[in-house]
Amino acid sequence: MANAEQVNPLVPQIGKIIKIVEETPDIKTFHVTTDKGKPFTPMPGQLAMFSLLDVGEAMFSITSQGPEHLELAIKKVGMLTDALHEVEVGQAVGIRGPYGNGFPLEMMKGKDLLFIGGGIGLAPVRSLINYTIEHREDYGRLWIIYGARSPADLCFKDDLFKNWPKVKDCRVDVTVDKGDADWKGHEGFVPAFVEKLGPKPEGMVAITCGPPIMIKFVLQSLEKLGFKDEQIVTTLEMRMKCGIGKCGRCNLGSAYVCLDGPVFTLAQLKQMPDEY
Amino acid sequence: MSTIQEQMRTRARELLTSGEVKMVVGWEKGALWYMSPPAFITDPAEVDRLVWDEFCHNNLAKYLLDYKFSDDRLAIFVKGCDARGIIRLLQDKQIEREKVYLIGINCPGLKDERQGAVLGEDKRAELPLAARCQGCRHPAPVVYDELLQDEGTAAKGEVAATAEDRFTATAEVEAMSPDERYAFWTNHYDRCLRCYACRNVCPACNCRECIFDRSQSGWCGKQMNRSENMFFAITRAMHVAGRCIECGECERVCPEGIPIMTLNNKIIKEINTLFGDYEAGLDPEAMPPLGKYKLDDPEEFL
Amino acid sequence: MLKISKDQIGELLNIWAKGAKVFVPQENGGTSQFKAWEGQGKLTLGEGNALEPPKDLFFPRTETMYRYRVRDPEASLEELAPLEEKRVLVGVRSCDARSFAIMDDVFLTKGYIDEFYRQRRENTAVVALACTTAQPTCFCTSFGIDPGRAEGVDLQMWPLADSYLLEAITPAGKDLLEQAAALLTEAADEKVPAAAQPSLTADVGGVTEKLQQMFEHPYWEAVSRKCIGCGACTYLCPTCHCFDIQSENRGDSGYKFRCWDSCMFSEYTRMAGGHQPRPSKKERLRNRFLHKLQYFPERYGKFACVGCGRCLDRCPVSMDITRVVREVKEVTL
Repeated sequence: MANAEQVNPLVPQIGKIIKIVEETPDIKTFHVTTDKGKPFTPMPGQLAMFSLLDVGEAMFSITSQGPEHLELAIKKVGMLTDALHEVEVGQAVGIRGPYGNGFPLEMMKGKDLLFIGGGIGLAPVRSLINYTIEHREDYGRLWIIYGARSPADLCFKDDLFKNWPKVKDCRVDVTVDKGDADWKGHEGFVPAFVEKLGPKPEGMVAITCGPPIMIKFVLQSLEKLGFKDEQIVTTLEMRMKCGIGKCGRCNLGSAYVCLDGPVFTLAQLKQMPDEY
Repeated sequence: MSTIQEQMRTRARELLTSGEVKMVVGWEKGALWYMSPPAFITDPAEVDRLVWDEFCHNNLAKYLLDYKFSDDRLAIFVKGCDARGIIRLLQDKQIEREKVYLIGINCPGLKDERQGAVLGEDKRAELPLAARCQGCRHPAPVVYDELLQDEGTAAKGEVAATAEDRFTATAEVEAMSPDERYAFWTNHYDRCLRCYACRNVCPACNCRECIFDRSQSGWCGKQMNRSENMFFAITRAMHVAGRCIECGECERVCPEGIPIMTLNNKIIKEINTLFGDYEAGLDPEAMPPLGKYKLDDPEEFL
Repeated sequence: MLKISKDQIGELLNIWAKGAKVFVPQENGGTSQFKAWEGQGKLTLGEGNALEPPKDLFFPRTETMYRYRVRDPEASLEELAPLEEKRVLVGVRSCDARSFAIMDDVFLTKGYIDEFYRQRRENTAVVALACTTAQPTCFCTSFGIDPGRAEGVDLQMWPLADSYLLEAITPAGKDLLEQAAALLTEAADEKVPAAAQPSLTADVGGVTEKLQQMFEHPYWEAVSRKCIGCGACTYLCPTCHCFDIQSENRGDSGYKFRCWDSCMFSEYTRMAGGHQPRPSKKERLRNRFLHKLQYFPERYGKFACVGCGRCLDRCPVSMDITRVVREVKEVTL
């Protein structure tokens, strides 16, 4: 719900970018804080309205957080994100939130978790991966399957190749659509890779996010592998303006993605209009 | 001889049954007696929905853009103004002539639907001619594949204005002082809701993507205030300059009753003065004056 | 019950205008609009409803949300002072009064309160005016609305031949009557006039349940063909509440504003990068009708239509929601 200090939920706090990580040629992770410390404390999968005041405001997933800051991984796709990719450390920004439901942590407790990400779609999933690593005892085995167009487009390389493989009972499999001269790993699309790896659905929850076309085929692959709709979780992206379920545009049927989402199980999605 | 409406239904049935066309676009009765909105008939069994009465206002030409990428052939009914819309779209290479079958109707001039709402059905016979028809000079379609035959002279009607009639309202605004004129236009456009009905109904507005649907481009703010509304009003008018077919649909559909044709007519009048008389949507070969370049074009404004 | 002569209505508005800003339907460029009462003006209290609904007074077409200064890399933000202006909204019809309850659901419930709306709403007294004649496009009674008595208002007025009857509903309404005591007399013989009886109807019973099964139905393709995709219906609708948020810059300062937006426009759902969940008028029109008749009832337990008929009256192609309701109930699944 609304931050206690924020009387008017549509007015952002002024924050500052304290670190920028270049993940890929078109994705950067921005570390944001405010004079008072961390803008707010989101749960995994929740969202933030992030803005350059004179350019625009848009909703992004919060990919990670520290004690004093939030992290947002942002791909260059439009006017605001183009401008964001030009800014430097020290840039003042607007930030408000946290918004949305976040991942169903209770439902996942004690289960093995299968994370399937594509491209920038790993950003929201990463918040949950890091959370389950911090609360390692509450969850079963972790399995991360991730793909990008090319080796250069792989996001969060430190996590993929250094941090996560070190975690107890955590497996990481990476694929690229097309490798380069140095690429020794798997080549191919994520859905086929998932089928090839063949995770068993028993006691497992699959969490997936990526480009719409990848999600569509990953869902088919998971169904083929025997996952039930209740075992599949995804997080959606829509155009949003208010973030608080009032401005209208992010509705799927009578649900607002900004407020009632962005995280839905496939079982829930099948009850809703296919308009995302 | 059968009525226009009977002929409409007969021809629609024939065209659909023979498979010559996949859809017939005409008009049908709406919720109330003074409403005859567009109808799209695909089933020969439904041709009796088609009507022809004094409220068949909608210019149907614009709908052809919705079927631009369809291979199906359509038939549409064209009054004088609809036919000019067709020519306009053909000139802009928006539609293919062979994909549309045009059934012409000599228009007697249509009646004012708003007055219908105010006066009631008892006064149906006394309704005034719609504003959009008062300046009409071409009630007969200028292009068609077949023309429905009207009964005697009844359909000749009250329309076919002189060249000057259509500029009456414009002349009144021209006669105002600059301050009065500013008050006139701001009072009207302060009400503008930016619903874009004027744009969407206009056969000359056929850009695939309109700048007013791209607020991020920064040309026009989305604020509904005087400055942005005026920017919209003037930009819209200038974008159709030299291509406005004077169907008056923009003004008819404006929910706020803004006299849009007064602005369009001002531009038509100026173009006629500068470049010689031109009427858009009559001759497919005649290039719109602002769409062609001549060495001796007037350039006093430079 | 009290009454006032119609000749004295201007004086009544003048009295109320001493302590508040009074908004009342007045003639404007050939239309009737809720406008601030400045002591004179041509009132349009007798001839049907105002063209535009009064939602603009709680949820303005365009409003500034905050101001900012940006001098890279610094930025500062300035919130607006709370809106404290008292208002009296006079001549609200029963349909529009119902729309306020619908807007309240949107802006004041489900976890977040919209401060801009709340401030205006709480500072406004609503004076309703009963309808004794229906417009051809009216169908409020189909939603259980009584054109003769509005819900949730502070004061109810009824028109008679030469006077208005007045009845206070809330303490705020009573206060308005006390302010105007010198103009009011006791109504002795006058009776509350019969309420208008709209001839248009929409039998909305069961329509939500039917629509729940109709998302993929070919009906939407057929019904959307004539739609020209303008926003007239949404902007004139007393319950449509979608908005956009944008910035306007002047040098190194600027302001963030919100303005009405419409689900009929392509830009409304188009995402950065170009993905478009509702690519054509079929999806947009379907969303609009489903929002009114299915989604809103599912979310808030009431229809988001009040039968004011403005959409039908002003739609360039006479799109008729009563016909949509009828056809939806008739189509086979």
